[in-house]
Amino acid sequence: MAALSAPLALELGTLALLVLVLLSGLFGPKGSALPARLAFGGLVALLFVAWNAQPGASAFGGTFVVDELALFAKRLFLASAALSVLASLGGGPGPVPRRAAEYHVLLLGSLLGMLALASARELILLFVAFELMSIPLYVLTGFRKREDRASEAALKFFLVGTVSSAVILYGLSFVYGAAGTTEMAALPAAVDEGHPLVYLGLGLVLAGLGFKIAAVPFHMWVPDSYEAASAPFVAWLSVAPKAAGFVAVFRLYLEGMGVTALAWVPVAATLAVVSMVAGNLMAIPQSNIKRLLAYSGIAHIGYMLLGFAAMSANGTGMVLFYLVAYLFGNMGAFFVVEAVGRSESSDQLDAYKGLAQRSPMLALSLLVFLLSLGGIPFMVGFWAKLYVFWAVIEQGMYALAFLGALLTVVALYYYLVVARYMYIDAPVRAGAIAVPVSLTLAIAICLTGVVGMGVYPGPWVDGVLRVAGTLFR
Amino acid sequence: MTDFPILSVITWAPFVSALVIMFGARHRPGFVRWTAAAGSSVSLVLSLWLYWAYDRAAAGFQFVERVELVPALGIAYELAVDGISLLMILLTAIIIFAGVFASWTVKTRAQEFYALLLLLVTGVFGVFVSLDLFVFFLFYEIAVLPMYLLIGIWGSSGAVRPQGIFGWAFGRTGVGTKEYAAMKLTLYLLFGSAFILVGILALYVAAGSQSFSFLTFERTTFSPALQTWVFLAFYIGFGILAGIWPLHTWSPDGHASAPTAVSMLHAGVLMKLGAYGVVRLGMGLLPEATIDWAWLVGTIACINIVYGALSAMAQTDLKYVVAYSSVSHMGVVMLGAATLTESGLNGSVFQMFAHGVMTGLFFALVGLVYEKAHSREIFKMGGFATMMPGIAAAFTIGGLSSLGLPATAGFVAEFLTFLGAWTSAHSWWLFPAVLGAFLTSIYVLRVVRHIFWGPPSADPRFQNLPDAQGPEWVAIGILVFVIVLFGVIPGIAIDPVDTATVPLLTRLGVFP
Repeated sequence: MAALSAPLALELGTLALLVLVLLSGLFGPKGSALPARLAFGGLVALLFVAWNAQPGASAFGGTFVVDELALFAKRLFLASAALSVLASLGGGPGPVPRRAAEYHVLLLGSLLGMLALASARELILLFVAFELMSIPLYVLTGFRKREDRASEAALKFFLVGTVSSAVILYGLSFVYGAAGTTEMAALPAAVDEGHPLVYLGLGLVLAGLGFKIAAVPFHMWVPDSYEAASAPFVAWLSVAPKAAGFVAVFRLYLEGMGVTALAWVPVAATLAVVSMVAGNLMAIPQSNIKRLLAYSGIAHIGYMLLGFAAMSANGTGMVLFYLVAYLFGNMGAFFVVEAVGRSESSDQLDAYKGLAQRSPMLALSLLVFLLSLGGIPFMVGFWAKLYVFWAVIEQGMYALAFLGALLTVVALYYYLVVARYMYIDAPVRAGAIAVPVSLTLAIAICLTGVVGMGVYPGPWVDGVLRVAGTLFR
Repeated sequence: MTDFPILSVITWAPFVSALVIMFGARHRPGFVRWTAAAGSSVSLVLSLWLYWAYDRAAAGFQFVERVELVPALGIAYELAVDGISLLMILLTAIIIFAGVFASWTVKTRAQEFYALLLLLVTGVFGVFVSLDLFVFFLFYEIAVLPMYLLIGIWGSSGAVRPQGIFGWAFGRTGVGTKEYAAMKLTLYLLFGSAFILVGILALYVAAGSQSFSFLTFERTTFSPALQTWVFLAFYIGFGILAGIWPLHTWSPDGHASAPTAVSMLHAGVLMKLGAYGVVRLGMGLLPEATIDWAWLVGTIACINIVYGALSAMAQTDLKYVVAYSSVSHMGVVMLGAATLTESGLNGSVFQMFAHGVMTGLFFALVGLVYEKAHSREIFKMGGFATMMPGIAAAFTIGGLSSLGLPATAGFVAEFLTFLGAWTSAHSWWLFPAVLGAFLTSIYVLRVVRHIFWGPPSADPRFQNLPDAQGPEWVAIGILVFVIVLFGVIPGIAIDPVDTATVPLLTRLGVFP
């Protein structure tokens, strides 16, 4: 297939898919599986296109670019969206299959925002894309509208999210005031001049982005929304918007900045430390696996921020690698949660008792995902953590690496607690857990990713380093 | 035979049999056990051959295998053995072979048990043969993690529950249960591995070389400041596994709760892995820091010896006695290394071997006694020698080796270490060491007398107990044989070890 060079191809494709899914929902019978299948097929096709696309195109006078970073992010968004849709294909209880068209239209809308965000090289476009990404997420969080906690979570998420958007916009206005233009290409020069308003503006934006990527202390919305929403959606929510947030961070704070980026090291390091410590410690007492994964996710954001704090091509590359590792590990874990949740109607850890004796493969999968998240060798998570520490040590920040390494032990504690429920405790109920084919497939893909990249990470590392290198040219 | 990848075969044979067991032996316990025995005997036979074939005159690293894994980062699958690792490989092979036979009676979920056990052993072999520090670390993690499930599923909860003020505080944590012990052990060891990982990465970055090979690091001179803290990181990281005071508390809990074969392997081999790490990475790569910190290592080792022995005296649970004796004996290992003398370091390595075999034997026997009498309480049992003469005799031989009686392996090790301590810069180390040996004789003889040779217990549970049977004799026989053999002809172990310790000490500047 010839390389696609039209810069907006993926966005237009997603938009077309969105309309198609909407129409199929409007004119199809209620509860039909068609919209979901359509969305999945379309996403796979778009992923294929994205995989074969070449970087280098740009549009609107350089304010919309498809460079290496944008393309990497777009592939990540599409892959995670496709996985998430695949996992929810199998029907099951809840409003998602009943109102499939609405669900998938919203999801595609949010995806469209992310795709645009990855390419944005202009402040207004960046903000609009951010909003397009965020607003459907609020709705999707409250998709189980008859459940009180879903409404509560959605409201909380919405309030926190809009405030953060306002903060970002406020910050951007300062940046505009100092730089005199909304084009991000002019940003490094403005920062170089050292106008205090630029730093004030970028500082506010970082706080706003902190909400989006759920770094402590901007994390409060995470556990509630994870608990309330359906697991396949949460799997996506836990990965894609955070990746989008990191892309925005890289664009604003690193791209073309050179040494001036070092001014943000203390801020990034502090956010990283606080997120790692708080996330890991707060995960310990959780008895609901979704909340546990939510807090562990906050801790993972801390590790990624550690790579950001290195402010180097290696560090940035390792954050990208970490995102891929996190995609497979975390989404896989949530898919297993979905499988168990459907069968046991519970997300409590008690539901996992003796899982190894009931469904050995399901238990093994979850164990592998959790060990990968915990950073154990031969799983991709190990390399992710290792590379992040590596990047940090390269910058001479030994203490940060030490702290990070020690906190992985804390993380392994609560992951092993889950392992204890699955492997050591005796089962309460008998019988294997029925898993729909599509969900099995989704879990298998994640498993392949985790183990495959864990055994042979080489090409991926080369890839992310190439992507990160373009930011520091 | 130069092209035959003997080290890889030794390392991966248990892994292959684990795979066979996992995927080919569902609900066939007999097949499971024989596959495990076959895998471990391949390793044993080859490691005996390796021991014989190692060229003592040439010394240095031999049987080198090298395959590039990640050339961009300088990670390679590089295996080799020198005199120290040679002995450790033999030890591992002996213990796992005996361990498979000692746990012949594991019935519940036997398939998973043997698969995890053999996976663990692959990790241990891998650590001893790896020259590439990165691969070393990978194997190290494999050696640590399966322990959690092995103890958690097949372990036994002790009868000891927390009492008094601290009991109230610790009651909720589940002290004494196998789940608690498994989690504690795993977290301690992972905590240690975090230190090790950061240390290795720091050395790699500081060396600026594109290689993780031990040989490359060995040629690099690191700055004193870096050496100081990396040595401490390695000392803490590996020291946790070696059971150094005050980071040893996972060891009694873990070993007492673990199933027999796991206790054997953990106390017998894995703790040595910690000491081996300190000697190989700490002393081998960081010579200046080693000399600076020798006082700390040696002094803490002395505390280990005496504290471990005193704690062992206070126990009423047989398995805890053996577990604390390991803490005490690991002190001897670390002390020998800290003396920085030839005899001390040789004694240290010899003690790793001797204690490995000895404690393996102890845990095997304790497991047998427990299986037959369903009790680990020393003061309730008595007069077992008439019912189980074989076990009693073997336990007595192990006990005599433990307290350092001549003609047993324990004597050679302790003698060399004490000699090293006396000729070292801190000759006062000799006194706690000798005190430890004295205390050891008290608690060992007390246990032996009470359980085996004392007056018979009136308890009806302890009547007409059988002696060891069938496969169990294999385990006991091998271990007793090795203890006596290496006690009578210590030269067969000391000769190869000496070829590795002398260059190490030369690098440290002890020898001109």
